[in-house]
Amino acid sequence: MTPGGLGNLSLAFAGLFTVVGLLAALLAWYNRDARYLLVAKRAALLAFLGTLGAFVALEWALLSDDFSVLYVARNSTRANPTWVKFATLWAALEGSILLWALLQTLYTWLAGIRSRDYWTSPVVLTTLFVIQLFFLANVIFVINPFITIPNPPADGPGPNPLLQNHWMMAVHPILMYLGFVGLSVPFAFAIAAMVTRRYQTWIAETKWWLIIAWGFLTAAIYAGGWWSYEVLGWGGYWGWDPVENASFIPWLLATAFLHTAMVQERRGLFRTWNFALVTLAFAATVFGTFLTRSGVIESVHAFAGGPVGPIFLGFLLAILAVGFFLLGRISSEVRDAGTVVPLSREGLLLYGALVLMTMAFVVILGTLFPLLVEAFNGAKVSVGAPFFNQLFVPLGLLMLLLMGLGPVLPWRSADSETLRVVFWMAIALVLGSALGLVVGWTLWVSLTVGFVLYNLVALCWLAFRPIRRRSLVTGEGFLKTAAKVFEQSRRRYGGYTVHLGVIVAVLAIAFSQSYRLDVQKTLAIGEAWKAGGRTITVHTLRALREPYRNSVVADVEISGIGVAHPRLNYYRTSRTPFAAPAVRYTWNKDYYLVLQAYDQKGGEWVTLRLVVTPLVLWLWISAAIIIFGTLLIVWPETARAHVAAAVSEGAEA
Amino acid sequence: MNAKSLLGLLAVVSLGVLFWWGIKTKDAREELPSALAGKSAPVFEMELLDSFKAEWGEKLNLADYLGKKPIILNFWASWCYPACYQEAPILEAGWRRWRDKVMFIAVDTQDEKDKGEEFVSRFGFTFPVVYDPRGSIGIDYGMYGVPETFAITRKGRVVERHAGSLDEAMLTKMVQEVLK
Amino acid sequence: MRRWLLAAVLLLGIAAAQTVGNKPPPDYPPKVFEIAKKLRCPVCRGESAAESNAGVTEEMRRQIAQMLKEGKSEDEIIQYFVDRYTDWILYEPPKKGLGLLVWLAPLIGLGLFGLGLYSYTHATAKREAAFEEAPEDEIARVEAEIARDSTRERE
Repeated sequence: MTPGGLGNLSLAFAGLFTVVGLLAALLAWYNRDARYLLVAKRAALLAFLGTLGAFVALEWALLSDDFSVLYVARNSTRANPTWVKFATLWAALEGSILLWALLQTLYTWLAGIRSRDYWTSPVVLTTLFVIQLFFLANVIFVINPFITIPNPPADGPGPNPLLQNHWMMAVHPILMYLGFVGLSVPFAFAIAAMVTRRYQTWIAETKWWLIIAWGFLTAAIYAGGWWSYEVLGWGGYWGWDPVENASFIPWLLATAFLHTAMVQERRGLFRTWNFALVTLAFAATVFGTFLTRSGVIESVHAFAGGPVGPIFLGFLLAILAVGFFLLGRISSEVRDAGTVVPLSREGLLLYGALVLMTMAFVVILGTLFPLLVEAFNGAKVSVGAPFFNQLFVPLGLLMLLLMGLGPVLPWRSADSETLRVVFWMAIALVLGSALGLVVGWTLWVSLTVGFVLYNLVALCWLAFRPIRRRSLVTGEGFLKTAAKVFEQSRRRYGGYTVHLGVIVAVLAIAFSQSYRLDVQKTLAIGEAWKAGGRTITVHTLRALREPYRNSVVADVEISGIGVAHPRLNYYRTSRTPFAAPAVRYTWNKDYYLVLQAYDQKGGEWVTLRLVVTPLVLWLWISAAIIIFGTLLIVWPETARAHVAAAVSEGAEA
Repeated sequence: MNAKSLLGLLAVVSLGVLFWWGIKTKDAREELPSALAGKSAPVFEMELLDSFKAEWGEKLNLADYLGKKPIILNFWASWCYPACYQEAPILEAGWRRWRDKVMFIAVDTQDEKDKGEEFVSRFGFTFPVVYDPRGSIGIDYGMYGVPETFAITRKGRVVERHAGSLDEAMLTKMVQEVLK
Repeated sequence: MRRWLLAAVLLLGIAAAQTVGNKPPPDYPPKVFEIAKKLRCPVCRGESAAESNAGVTEEMRRQIAQMLKEGKSEDEIIQYFVDRYTDWILYEPPKKGLGLLVWLAPLIGLGLFGLGLYSYTHATAKREAAFEEAPEDEIARVEAEIARDSTRERE
């Protein structure tokens, strides 16, 4: 059997069982018969196995250099290292949608296992099967990667060289799709809740999925930032490119939803809002895919346009229409279980969601604005990084203000103890900002520092108060109590950890965006150059031959740090070289070198671009903190801790 | 159906219309209106490619040609394949046809000299080609890709820019425009 | 008639400076990149003149450095490029006319969502209040109805 044959067969298998599953789920719903549900769940597993078969088939074709498969012939090349060949599966449109379909079938199967509710499960599965069918139908009929070519070429051009430069590029798309697909589960549960008119429980049922999806989205955005920092050669991690924005919009909406979902879970509020938010968040993932693949807006990262633009547009509109149609049908009967007290935790969470939605709105409008203006009066405008950076400073500070205050305030109302900590937070804010101004930082950076301290005070209080209170009652030592409290409310501490990560990230972003040095200089070999507080010396310039590329490497010593190796890579498929920058991190600044040009005749000089940026290392550290915090939240609880938590919750109430 | 749902429906539909329009006009929208339209053509003085030096001199100064005949100014590069390769014979044919009435000047932009010369001999260009390795003339003309062609009137005003490969009809239209 | 945008062919991260003979490109102070960041690379898709390494942006940076040396101000330099490329070259849309709309986006967003939220919480509060303050006679009427229904069921 050939890889192409196996692939098409597997896809047909997956498509068949998706249809079977869909029909079974519908029958389960109409006949109120749980036996069909069992069929649907099994079909979900088979569909997953089928798609997995297709995935394996394409990997097989890639790894065995089978250029009779169209996708391989277009996107792979013999000389590439194995890991690049492996990752080539998601380096172009067809393969990436296959990966998406694979993950969607996986999530459908898992969500099927985890959804046991007799009423909602059929609708949940129906929704997920429809989404899955959409992706599979695309892979099978529209952008089939397994099309065979009658006269296979001896070799292919290989993927975009930029995608071969860093291992992160192999990971980033998977994380992104895991996040995107993950949001389909809360969406499906919301649809089920609206159809079955059970408005409260879906939040608790999908909380875990939501946080998982959020964690993957966050990790994916960080991975993308890391990749652009270490590969693209301009010393930045975020460029507000439409495609980057397209991944940021679902993140913002998912973050907003995450917080209002908490309010619904605890207080039974914002029920209609949550339906709208989850629909928007899921629609935003499809919107992102549409933007990337339709070419409707220019972007560096855009995939080569295919026929899928209009198809994804239709899917996007269908999601919005179904979500909001259902919401319109039930909105008059959904009741909240109380009212919002303006100065309480739910109030602050609501304002936070408001700011996050506003951020999403700004990103959407900014991204689409060139298109809008052109449709309106034919004029050409550009909206880019300088615009977004300016608007996100005040919005970010507003967010920091709410982020510190929200968790400190109790549900329903404020009390005197919280007022005291709020007082200290305000002091920290004023002191931090004043300190910043005295040191000579800009107003915005100083304010950011102030708000970071304000948040730290809040987080410390939140983290230590329960421990202190308990140790006062029990008389046990601090550490012992801390361990117990932590074990019992691990999720809450997970949330605080994520907030800590966000604060660290904000600090890193504020400094790295405000104080960066960006210079270019031509140096003779051996010449010393004082820049950014260090001495930079170019020792050697050498050529390097690898099977799939040739490179020119400069060995540049940065005093006190070591030798960095910025290089220019020459790929067979490209007329001009690709610059691969070298980054050396230190705890406060990092030194980023790009080999811009070199003496091609005598090898006597090199032109270097040096970017010195503060605190970028801390941005990557913040990623680790956030992911650790997310893991604390989603890691399954041990039975003992579960009982203990239940007991203590009972005692508290 | 209440007002809220109607509003929501309207929003979804208008979003759909906007994106549909965006997909449909994707290629047409790549054209950028020139900032020079109606303004006088920026002057440059630039070295010619070696094969033209015998006939046209060491350097070409656009000011020497402005005000005499209308000018068709074309930007190309040897690495711009296939668009520049498609329009090159059309340019040369146009030059031969209208050379009494219209001046043709081309700029080989951001190219390597030998490859530029190769391109010229391949298509047998007989109108002057200046060599602009840095692309500074391109910036003066607000060029945003190759090939690009500007039509300049006898009085030295830019009337039209065409971005992308020229076909015969397009070139004829541009020439007629400046001859008017 | 596919158009050849430089960057579409060369992608990003190229070092086109190499094509200009074998002379090194000039040295740039930080200000050059600061200004270049505000301008879009005319031949790329969604990259600034500071990020891109396309030949044109190399030349743009060179010209910026040159103009800085001549003592021109940042505004003058930016205007120089706007004169050649229209406002399209700016990564910040102009704060006038339609452009104002996008600059006011945060206020529009906060306003719209805030209004929606206010009416939402307000409606909830009103409903609560109505629920609590059901008039006596209404309650009596409902109770009577329930009593009547249950007697009818028994029959």
